[in-house]
Amino acid sequence: MKWWTTKANDPVSSINGTGSFQKAVQESVVLTTMDSMVNWGRKNSIWPFNFGLSCCYVEMATSITSKYDISRFGAEVIRGTPREADMMIVAGTVFIKMAPVIRQLYEQMMAPRWVIAMGACASSGGMYDIYSVVQGVDKFMPVDVYVPGCPPRPDAFLEGIVLLRDAVGKEKRPLSWTIGDQGIIKSARPSMKALKHDERMKVKELRSPDEI
Amino acid sequence: MPEKTDILNSLKTKFPEAVLCEQPTRDEFHTFWIDKKFIIPVLGYLKNEPGLNFKFLFDLTAIDEQARKYRQGQPESTFTVVYQLLSFERNEFLRLKVGLVGSTPSVATASTVWPNANWYEREVYDMFGVKFDGHPHMERIIMPRSWKGHPLQKCHPARATEMGPFHMPEDKMLGEQDLYQFKPEEWGLKKTSDDNKDFMFLNLGPQHPGTHGILRLILQMDGENIVNVVPDIGYHHRGAEKMGERQSWHTYIPYTDRVEYLSGVMNNYPYVMAVEKLGGIEIPDRAKVIRIMLCELFRISSHLVWYGTFAQDLGMMTPVFLMFYDREKLFEVIEAICGDRMHPNWFRIGGVVQDLPNGWEGLVRGFLKYMNPRLKEYDKMVLRNRIFKGRTKGIGIYNTEEAIDWGVSGVGLRATGFDWDLRKRMTYGGYDQFDFDIPVGSNGDCYDRAVLRSEEIRQSLRIIEQCVNNMPAGPYKSHNPLTTPPDKKFTMYDIETLINHFVNVTWGPVIPPNEGFSLVEASKGLNGYYLVSDGSTTSYRTRIRTPSFPHIQFVPYFSKGYTIADLLAILGSVDYVLSDIDR
Repeated sequence: MKWWTTKANDPVSSINGTGSFQKAVQESVVLTTMDSMVNWGRKNSIWPFNFGLSCCYVEMATSITSKYDISRFGAEVIRGTPREADMMIVAGTVFIKMAPVIRQLYEQMMAPRWVIAMGACASSGGMYDIYSVVQGVDKFMPVDVYVPGCPPRPDAFLEGIVLLRDAVGKEKRPLSWTIGDQGIIKSARPSMKALKHDERMKVKELRSPDEI
Repeated sequence: MPEKTDILNSLKTKFPEAVLCEQPTRDEFHTFWIDKKFIIPVLGYLKNEPGLNFKFLFDLTAIDEQARKYRQGQPESTFTVVYQLLSFERNEFLRLKVGLVGSTPSVATASTVWPNANWYEREVYDMFGVKFDGHPHMERIIMPRSWKGHPLQKCHPARATEMGPFHMPEDKMLGEQDLYQFKPEEWGLKKTSDDNKDFMFLNLGPQHPGTHGILRLILQMDGENIVNVVPDIGYHHRGAEKMGERQSWHTYIPYTDRVEYLSGVMNNYPYVMAVEKLGGIEIPDRAKVIRIMLCELFRISSHLVWYGTFAQDLGMMTPVFLMFYDREKLFEVIEAICGDRMHPNWFRIGGVVQDLPNGWEGLVRGFLKYMNPRLKEYDKMVLRNRIFKGRTKGIGIYNTEEAIDWGVSGVGLRATGFDWDLRKRMTYGGYDQFDFDIPVGSNGDCYDRAVLRSEEIRQSLRIIEQCVNNMPAGPYKSHNPLTTPPDKKFTMYDIETLINHFVNVTWGPVIPPNEGFSLVEASKGLNGYYLVSDGSTTSYRTRIRTPSFPHIQFVPYFSKGYTIADLLAILGSVDYVLSDIDR
């Protein structure tokens, strides 16, 4: 593909692409399936629900601000109502008193909808094996991506968003009649721990905590 | 200065039969056991008698004594209700205890003496099952209404995994939701006004971007104006106090980080100080200065989050991005020192985890140089902004007497013109060696509270600068055998140190039986830990007195008559964190 630039005051005629008709068609026509185009749109505009429970919410909010900038991944349009949101980030501890509320908010979201369990508490109860805490939000609603950490760094949360984007891009939600398996087919959700194991084990020397 | 009235003597003269005994404690505050019959007159006397002036109900809590071994010399009691009072004039704390026996313990309510006793007593009822006679609304406050049992009783299970798997089928979800329905008559609120106009009841939260967390407020509205506010808390209850009875003294430190999650290590501070009081541990100078430096860094971090979100609550989009960027700069320093951002869990009993890393001075100085000019810019952008002033000046006003009566501390108290900062008045941890000012307001409105916090950032920067310039050399941890983790250096040379080290690392230190209390001027107000040790590796009772709890209780009092938009300004200016309310 060839690129050229023009100046603001150049007459239109000065744009003289050298390409052939064939090239021009290649540059302006994309052939794809409807399904993958819809998926492409979905994965690049996952709107999060403005929802936070505790400490993790502060780190989630940090990921929106300039240093981390969640809008690089098309997820900066934060919605105040679950009815307009695509993704719910369960950022924080899931309290027993709060559980019915969380579940109702989840049910108010329209499909397709996704859930990220952010932090140890939302994933498994974490440090808080205590009478007032549900041991993981997946006890009463489905979760797509788990982000570990207490709280996870904003970068870790963004990795979770990237993983969710990839998964959304590969999800099969047939728009019309299909042959074979019916319904929504979610993509595989491999364990990152297993995938990254070899690479991590290559690290032999850790930085000393005595240096900055 | 006139001679201080002796508390015990004056109490004995006025109420000859009220004082049962005095209990010696490690924190050197007077602790008196009072006969149940006399407690309310005694509290009233202590509050109003000139020369005593215990105007501030600092804390009201209870202890379940049923499993306690070491309580020699104390009157018989199944549940002990503990009142902790503060007198600003005498500059001292006082603790009163009332022993209750029997299967249905109850005592008269103190809400007739202090309005803020109301929530504390509801909390004690919720957690211990102790009833308060004559209380205006003896209902659960923290646990859901459908809850069975009282969590802080020794017989209540601590772990979620002891209580069976959690299920929430559709009907249970709807049933629970029904219990959350607000019924105005239960709260003594009228549905119509005197001139027969209907009030509107508006539910705000627990999921609402303006409440800064899962706080629920029910507003009784007359058109645009707020008639009454009923806060509903407990959505963020993580059982931090019960957790203290299970974790060892050392392994409880990470949990303190997460009480008031914006101030990180500042929460470690009162806890480790209280344990150090119990264990009689002296900490070295270097550790003291490191602690102060880290606390002030976190005060700035907490205030920056507040500054940004407060401006955003009032409709300004830009400041929050700039202030979170500054917070990142600050976290670069904190990460280099502690290795983590929000919850570094960096203080230890007897010192800090490790020495400062090489080159820390440059990092801290770099931040100081960066931050000061930024604050000037924010003054221009936020504090001098006309709209900001219009939204905050003259909004949410209360005076010093009201603030003290409701247990308000920190910036909320100083904004009313009352110059009282714990770091100056009852100094701790070496703050007396530093040169800094306490900003004081005059109007007690939202604007004053905002200005004070921005000024506090400047004062914290001053303290940090002095820390960098005068960091003492020497050890960063005490050599006391109760220090955690214990010193490893001599373990391979003598058997005593080796045994101590082994026991301390495997079981954790055993803290001598006693009671201790310690508090700090945290970023949101006075934050204190009251620990009861029963001579074991865990605490017998951990009480966390947090500032946000009384502050939110106070909100309905001074937000009547304003509009909802003003209420959000008021909530922002109070600067609370949900985990600091519910723990």
